[in-house]
Amino acid sequence: MASLTPTYDIERFGAVLVPSPRHADVLIVTGTVNAQTRDRLRKVYDQMPEPKHVIALGACSAAGGVFKGCYNAAQGVQDVIPVDMFIPGCPPRPEAIMYGVLKLLGEVK
Amino acid sequence: MESAGLMKYSTENLVPFGPIHPALKEPEYFKLVLEGEKIVEVIPRIGYVHRGLEKAAESRPWVQNMYMFERTCGICSFVHSLCYGQAVEGLTMYEVPKRAKYIRLIVAELERIHSHLLWVGLMGHWAGFETLFMWVWRDREIVLDIVEAISGNRVHKSMNAFCGVRRDMPENMEDRIVEKMKYLADRARYYREIIDTEETMLERTEKVGKVSADTAEKLCAVGPMARYVGIQHDIRLNDPYAAYDEVPFSIVTRNEGDVQGLLRLRLDEILVSTDLVTYAVKHLPEGPIRVKIPPIIPAGEHSSHCEAPRGEIFYYVKSTGGRTPDRVKSRQPTMANLPTALEMLKGQTIADVPIVLTAIDPCFGCMDRMSFLDSETNKIWTWSGEQLRQYGIKYYKQRRT
Amino acid sequence: MSEIFLRRAESCAADAKTKVTKLRDHELLIEVEQEHVKPLITKLWTDGITRRLSTITGLDLGQKLGIVYHFWQNEDALHVRTTVPKTNAIAVSIVEIIPGAILYEMEIHDMFGVTFLGNPWMDKKLLLPETWPDDLPPPLLKTSKPAEIRKRLKLEVENK
Repeated sequence: MASLTPTYDIERFGAVLVPSPRHADVLIVTGTVNAQTRDRLRKVYDQMPEPKHVIALGACSAAGGVFKGCYNAAQGVQDVIPVDMFIPGCPPRPEAIMYGVLKLLGEVK
Repeated sequence: MESAGLMKYSTENLVPFGPIHPALKEPEYFKLVLEGEKIVEVIPRIGYVHRGLEKAAESRPWVQNMYMFERTCGICSFVHSLCYGQAVEGLTMYEVPKRAKYIRLIVAELERIHSHLLWVGLMGHWAGFETLFMWVWRDREIVLDIVEAISGNRVHKSMNAFCGVRRDMPENMEDRIVEKMKYLADRARYYREIIDTEETMLERTEKVGKVSADTAEKLCAVGPMARYVGIQHDIRLNDPYAAYDEVPFSIVTRNEGDVQGLLRLRLDEILVSTDLVTYAVKHLPEGPIRVKIPPIIPAGEHSSHCEAPRGEIFYYVKSTGGRTPDRVKSRQPTMANLPTALEMLKGQTIADVPIVLTAIDPCFGCMDRMSFLDSETNKIWTWSGEQLRQYGIKYYKQRRT
Repeated sequence: MSEIFLRRAESCAADAKTKVTKLRDHELLIEVEQEHVKPLITKLWTDGITRRLSTITGLDLGQKLGIVYHFWQNEDALHVRTTVPKTNAIAVSIVEIIPGAILYEMEIHDMFGVTFLGNPWMDKKLLLPETWPDDLPPPLLKTSKPAEIRKRLKLEVENK
């Protein structure tokens, strides 16, 4: 969230937070997915129009992170939806997030 | 209207939730039942961040759990590791060095300043006062910079170890910290003025979210949720830990018993925290920062509690003399304050929901999806957090004109 | 202050078949049978010996399940522990005395399968997903395995 605020300001690169999956090009997933949120995540992904991309933000989204082995945590977002980019960190710094997002946009173009 | 077979508690018993309407089957985060414009019942479902940490703790070495529990919450991560650490330390015969206790206090108070600032910004956001949100979040960065200079990380500081801290205070930071604390105190006083005079905030928070002190106590409210109705509940005062017994500390309580009082309370607490940090860096004792302890913790059981920014955090540990715990229980303050929040919502309108729920400073983004049931028309609808926020802003704007 | 608290707490337990242990300075453990839980806690609360319930913890004690009420007052901690059988685990609820205990009892219901008689929300889940299979034992029992739970909750992909 800090990337949206004045110090980092990701908006100057053309990235804007949208209120609905139907308007989104990129889905950023943070934290762990559990049994309660898994279906909702799939629904959100399905509602996005093509072309769409997914970024898994942080160690927990990538591979379970510190919650590896926990009984109500998916061991990585890619077990639920396809992922195009992983941004590591616990948590990733705002600069890392911006770098990752811009890299993905660069590749997409 | 009531689901057959369920008991209904009368309000005299102060049990805050009621029977569930059979139509409200989806696992929404909150279900609110309305009579006319007023909320009469609230049903919470908070499991969507439940991962199973207590179970995982039983199969991990004692020290590894410190870093896992730190990640229970990004905002009060330090106090989680501190409280767990203290619970385990109590089972051993080792003492925490004085210098470490002071450093623990400094980082804990920096965390509190950060948490309270973030919360003030969020309150502004929900009330439609975006400028406040942006200003506050810029001030936040100052705290995060200091935290990073001390611990190497902005959020999960990983500063604690058993019987000490892992990193010492950097050299020559005293002046810089004192200067920044003065700046943040000035900002807090400025925000205090704004919330006392700005119409947008006043109309959303004055006389909103009232509970009595007696109710708050029976519902086991902790932290600011107890102090905003005048209860002297602050672990730093009642049962001091780290270096709190050696530093001048003043508890902040208020009597308004409404959300406006909560705003004043948390901003005043920032002032207390900046004073504590300033005092602690100026009086930092010399000496070691850590005593290394063996990986096997003696058998026994012990509990510890700390005053997290949101209220009392509680850890109970049980050891059978091994390398891993037999049981770890972790109770976050939000769980303790949830019954009080639900009581605060009764009698309010939908437009007040985001402000009242945010007022308890919840450790979950509970407002992603909420269900409403109008008990007179049987109409059910679901709103996202953003829809709810826009509704609230529009409702109060119309009331003004 | 501390000695008074300990003596007052001990005296509440004096007329029940209870075991009082001083764990260390400022920490007391009282073990009671189920039928004495409510009278003891009622006395502690209404006499003002403690007005702070931090939480309630569930324990897997092997043959039985433990329920520990954590009270405190200033620097003194008081744990009140009771046990219930593992099969047909029914305990008495204290929400009548302390309404704030409602969520703590719900959590033990989710995690250990204990039913608290008198708690109006025993049919609801607090933390576990709605999709928790009826035949899957509660997660915090020592015999429950996380890997198996993840499979049953469909949180793992087969043949990655």
